[in-house]
Amino acid sequence: MLYEKKEAWSVLLRLYHWAFALSIVCLVVTGLYVHEPWTSTQLEAVRTFPMAYMRYLHFLAGFVFTAALMVRLYLLIFGNRQEKFWNAAPITPSNIVNFFKTILFYLYIGKKDHRLGHNALAFTIYVVVFLLAVCQIITGFYLLYPESVFWQGWGLKLFGTQQQARFLHHIFMWCFMLFAMIHVYLVVWNENVAPEGMISSIFSGDKFVEKS
Amino acid sequence: MSRNLHLSDLNPTLDRRSFLKACTMAAAALGLSSEMVPQIVEAAASPQRPPVVWLHFQECTGCTEALLRASHPDIGRLILDIISLDYHETVMAAAGRQAETCLHDTITKYDGKFVCVVEGAIPTKDGGIYCKIGGRTALSILKEVAPKAAAIIAIGTCATYGGIQAAAPNPTGAVGVNSIIHDKPIVNISGCPPNPINFLGTVLHFLTFKRLPETDSLGRPLFAYGRKIHDHCERRAHFDEGRFVEKFGDEGHKKGYCLYKVGCKGPETYANCPAVRFNDVGVWPVSVGHGCVGCTEPNFWDTMTPFYERLPSVAIPGDRGVVSSAESAGKTILGVAAAAIGVHAAVGIGRRLGKGSSCCAKPAASTQASDDKSKE
Repeated sequence: MLYEKKEAWSVLLRLYHWAFALSIVCLVVTGLYVHEPWTSTQLEAVRTFPMAYMRYLHFLAGFVFTAALMVRLYLLIFGNRQEKFWNAAPITPSNIVNFFKTILFYLYIGKKDHRLGHNALAFTIYVVVFLLAVCQIITGFYLLYPESVFWQGWGLKLFGTQQQARFLHHIFMWCFMLFAMIHVYLVVWNENVAPEGMISSIFSGDKFVEKS
Repeated sequence: MSRNLHLSDLNPTLDRRSFLKACTMAAAALGLSSEMVPQIVEAAASPQRPPVVWLHFQECTGCTEALLRASHPDIGRLILDIISLDYHETVMAAAGRQAETCLHDTITKYDGKFVCVVEGAIPTKDGGIYCKIGGRTALSILKEVAPKAAAIIAIGTCATYGGIQAAAPNPTGAVGVNSIIHDKPIVNISGCPPNPINFLGTVLHFLTFKRLPETDSLGRPLFAYGRKIHDHCERRAHFDEGRFVEKFGDEGHKKGYCLYKVGCKGPETYANCPAVRFNDVGVWPVSVGHGCVGCTEPNFWDTMTPFYERLPSVAIPGDRGVVSSAESAGKTILGVAAAAIGVHAAVGIGRRLGKGSSCCAKPAASTQASDDKSKE
């Protein structure tokens, strides 16, 4: 079988992906520590600030996360064909068909409906994750700047008091962990059942498509 | 208990409730459990009040003022009720020869039993001639009284470490009590002035347990000087977050931010001021917007000045506080993302202009896709 190399992801999208992924890992690790500062009784002493440094890393990663999301938002509108919103959102007839075909494919029933970019099912989940990320950013900045009129305004309107926002911020984190688990599993699964270089594409930008 | 000074001045009796309250406060300050309160009450209520000789040397009487003018009136009264203050130049009625007789009689009668409280530094230069009472030098008075005392309580930074008199160049050779007396138990209640509750706590500890409280290596009781101001400071969160007063009267000052940058010496000073507050009115310097000057530390006039400049090499998490540092780094991160978007947009626009394409939307998109491909 002959394959053809085609560029799927621009440099900017790949940078976005890794900034987003690594910031999430950092946010989860430091966030769980802030939630449950388990070392504080062992390490707390003069001139050591385990909690302060965990929070510091959390805030830094939060800014990286925000910056990454900004880039993705830009690419949804101005990116290459695969990165654009209309390319894979299940709102056009062919994308709706792809959405259901992908479900069947994942259930080992149908055949893969090949796409150079995202399949419609994955993209739908990405949109949900995108919206969750927006929620994390708003709750996060609301918690970081409790005195800021701007963040307090949005935070109160959308998520309630500091404590409610903190609770939701924590719950949303579990959604990200769940997403990361499924995401990695499906990428590896795809790599096995439909060889197109999906994993390497997020490093190199290129996928391999069957020559017709 | 009345906080009304005028009324309490008219009523010289100490009611039972106030007495128990003061004993409980002292027990709390000493870090004792509530089970110990009855023992303290018993010791304090004992009719055998220990005689106290209070010596004044090089000082401003501020320590006595702090003790007597505590706005919680019961403590001052308790001090006068539970101890037998036989000699105290500021408050005693006697004067002149009568006063000297009083001192002489007390130390003779209660040899080895009385408590000696010293307020003020002792000058040693030129035979100690720079402080004389009744024609005798402070040095000789101390050397006469101290060996006969059961224990010595040095009150105030002058009596403990020399205080302002000992500040460089120390013209009178002033020193604290423990530089002269070595063979007696000495407790240092340092501070300028020290908190009356720390003195009271030490006295009650002595009455209850018949020994002086445990001290740090500078002779200060651990119950009061065991932790740093910084560790219990109500403004500590602002330090960790990086919210500082940059100048007295600025926005941060109005908001109650950390005073470290305007010279607070809390990170290097051991005292319980943030916990017990001062003069029983619920405030202390930092709570009213002035940094700690480190008055409980030896030689603070030399080592803690200038008072309004920040201490060197105190670790602030994240260098400038976690929120401030994360914020400035965050601005850079967001800026880099914006720049990346800008470069991407500029390349896209540049290419389209270069192609001179004036087509409709769909072919343009495909052009861009193939452009991106050729970019690699």
